[in-house]
Amino acid sequence: MTERRVAITGLGVVAPIGVGLDETWQALLAGKQAVSKIDLFDPGHFPCKIAGQLQNFSARKFVPKNYRKAVKVMARDIEIAVAAADLAFLDSGIVTKAAGDEPTVDSKRLGCNIGAGLICADLNELGQAVNTAVGDDGNFDYKLWGKTGIENLTPLWLLKYLPNMLSCHTTIIHGAQGPSNCITCGDVSAHLSLGESCLYIKRRAADVVVTGAAESKLNPMGLLRQGLLGRLCTTGNDNPAQAVRPFDIDHAGSAIGEGGGLVIIEDMGRAEARGARIYAEVAGFGAACDPAGIDVEQPSAGNLALAVKSALTSAGIGPGDVDMIFTHGTGSPGEDIAEAAQWRKVFGDAAATIPAVAITGAIGSLFAGSGGVQLALAAKALAEQVVPPTVNFSAPAAGCEMNFAAQPRQTELKYVVAAGYTVGGQSGACLLKRCQA
Amino acid sequence: MSERRVVITGMGTINPLGHNVQDTWKALLAGKLAPSKNELFDASTFPTTFAAQVKGFDLSEHLSPASAQKHTHAGRHCKFALAAAQQAWEQSHLGDWAQLDRGRLGVYLGSGEGSLDFDKFVSLLIDAWEDGQVDTKKWPDLAFERMELYREIEQESNMVVAHLAGEFGACGPAYNVLTACAASTQAIGEAAMQVRHGLVDTVITGGAHSMVHPFGVTGFNRLTALSTRNDDAASASRPFDLTRDGFVIGEGASVLILEEYEHAKARGAEILAEIVGYGASADAFRITDQDPDGDGAATSMRAALADADIQPGQVDYISAHGTGTKQNDQVETRAMKAVFGQDASKAPPVSSAKSMLGHLIAAAGATELITCVLALRDQTLPPTANLHTPDPDCDLDYVPNEARQANVKICMSNSFGFGGQNNTIIITN
Repeated sequence: MTERRVAITGLGVVAPIGVGLDETWQALLAGKQAVSKIDLFDPGHFPCKIAGQLQNFSARKFVPKNYRKAVKVMARDIEIAVAAADLAFLDSGIVTKAAGDEPTVDSKRLGCNIGAGLICADLNELGQAVNTAVGDDGNFDYKLWGKTGIENLTPLWLLKYLPNMLSCHTTIIHGAQGPSNCITCGDVSAHLSLGESCLYIKRRAADVVVTGAAESKLNPMGLLRQGLLGRLCTTGNDNPAQAVRPFDIDHAGSAIGEGGGLVIIEDMGRAEARGARIYAEVAGFGAACDPAGIDVEQPSAGNLALAVKSALTSAGIGPGDVDMIFTHGTGSPGEDIAEAAQWRKVFGDAAATIPAVAITGAIGSLFAGSGGVQLALAAKALAEQVVPPTVNFSAPAAGCEMNFAAQPRQTELKYVVAAGYTVGGQSGACLLKRCQA
Repeated sequence: MSERRVVITGMGTINPLGHNVQDTWKALLAGKLAPSKNELFDASTFPTTFAAQVKGFDLSEHLSPASAQKHTHAGRHCKFALAAAQQAWEQSHLGDWAQLDRGRLGVYLGSGEGSLDFDKFVSLLIDAWEDGQVDTKKWPDLAFERMELYREIEQESNMVVAHLAGEFGACGPAYNVLTACAASTQAIGEAAMQVRHGLVDTVITGGAHSMVHPFGVTGFNRLTALSTRNDDAASASRPFDLTRDGFVIGEGASVLILEEYEHAKARGAEILAEIVGYGASADAFRITDQDPDGDGAATSMRAALADADIQPGQVDYISAHGTGTKQNDQVETRAMKAVFGQDASKAPPVSSAKSMLGHLIAAAGATELITCVLALRDQTLPPTANLHTPDPDCDLDYVPNEARQANVKICMSNSFGFGGQNNTIIITN
């Protein structure tokens, strides 16, 4: 039995620069800067008051009418995933249960593997309940909470915040009854999800899988935690559009954001047989970690180099075959320098010449979602034979000498590597290969 | 290339019934019951006042002082995982093997989120509450003063993976999955697939979780998923019994070492069992309910049987998901009958360790898989405790109340997650 190959046949993107693939791609090429002052809530006394926010986003229109009631129990992360899944299926031409017509995919052969982050409870909703349980001393009163306080939370409260609900709602909407998982590995959740989903297809547990990741850290807890880590830019509040500058000489920190990207992957034979538009083949995958990752105060890019090397090895190619590098690039100086060093470990001096891209300047750090958006745009870039611009890049910071450009570049692309790392030390890399019609 | 086989060469556990594999197994065979009054916080007025808790645990009894020092910031469930992993690592003797390639050593866990820094978290909501909402001027001022970096970051569920990689020097693929109650079965199953497909040679896998904290109990109480048998806590977990009224929330961690068979053989490792089948599916039904027909659960079991290339009749024992909720046990029974035949007398015996251990959520599946390995080793089936009143809808042989000697060659372990993610693993000796 020959080994199956995996095609990417649908892309769904929900990002601060655009909702939907075409809108996002055009905005990216045009150099749109979507990091702005936070208006989802008053950023008040937070040192960093800027973020990559979705514009005019509503999940409702991406959810079939008979399921719209359920949007009430979806945290923002879940809404993003559900919208991205809808867009991705639509883009793939595969009809699922959601369309109401006869599905063109066997539900038992349709998998769903959507990565997620730590979803934050709505503090105002929780505060409303908690403040009914304050004792005479002004402190939280457990007895009061147990007796009456908890009834102020809606019965399904917990379900809004379970990370597997990104996948679960998607399986219900699209009737996906094949393998379903939820990888929670921070910023590399999407890479790891895509890698694992390819195994579903290769081991014939599924023929089609919707995979990637989504997240929103656009809430006070997100700002607090990233602030405590010292990763956020606190000097760009007056000029948010240009605040996030991955690998740039003036990089001064990251900004949180919200969004996600999902891709439809499919057995290559199936995709070819139905005449699907194939954006790319997933030609290789690698993952690795850095045991030093528990020291979260030390800026690190994990073990990105080993992940990328494994991805190249799994595809049977060498570093010299790679035509474009899709970086993680948070814009946090220590991390950018550590990441560039990891790329040099793989490519040596060539790391300075292979065309490279970072999209965080335009959208901020989407955590689990960033990998999803990155993978979808890498596939689109391959199909279009364009190296997208690195927004807010002018000249490399010391130690970050890689080939970024603020303008899009038309060039011949055969292999693209897209990789990431996360706080904690895990890293993942996906190698995409051009599929010519 | 012939297919790579996956074997288990080490196991460890910290759970409400024991702080190692041997004590846990003895307690399970004796029918000991873990649930007791909640001592982790004042739950006396909650709808549920009890839980299955890990008691008397101290990480420094499990790791060297230098190692324990590295993990002082770790969350409660992470410390359970470190101790369980240390036991598994020692049993596997991987650390003694000079040729171990740490780039081919992975970590794949199904770990839960770390618990909130609860008292501080609610103090912020109270002290920064103005006009019916959080005042975002006050809140950050207080939050940056009160909250601690590590306590916050350790809540990310990938941090347990980071601690285990740090402790054992793993540089290979590192994953965490969080598919609710199915997480660690899914982690072990996918880890086995990584070994089979050559991504890694060895994996530290399993799960860890503690939701025995105020919002965890609140969340499940609001869903009316927990037993409220407050006057009879020890016997509150009653899978398949007519009087069952919900699951008992628990905590713990279990870790297994998976290894490619030739790799294990080459270094003379003791092989505890082989993972021969893995199946996964989704109900795609509702986020609040299981598919009443049990179709999703049955699909998962069938997928595992097909993966193992064995017939239903060859299965000697099933470790049930068996939570003790009205719905799960009925649906699970229906699913097993769909796979193993409507004639109840022909289905293999099935039992639920949750009747004694409580429900360790993300850590449940790994703990239950360990009981399957021990059932193979000792040719003994652990019982379903507290099963006294038969439910006409649950009419299989659940090994009620007494452990039983049996011929066991093939075991199946099932886990079904809230939201409809189902996973099945099949092992042999």
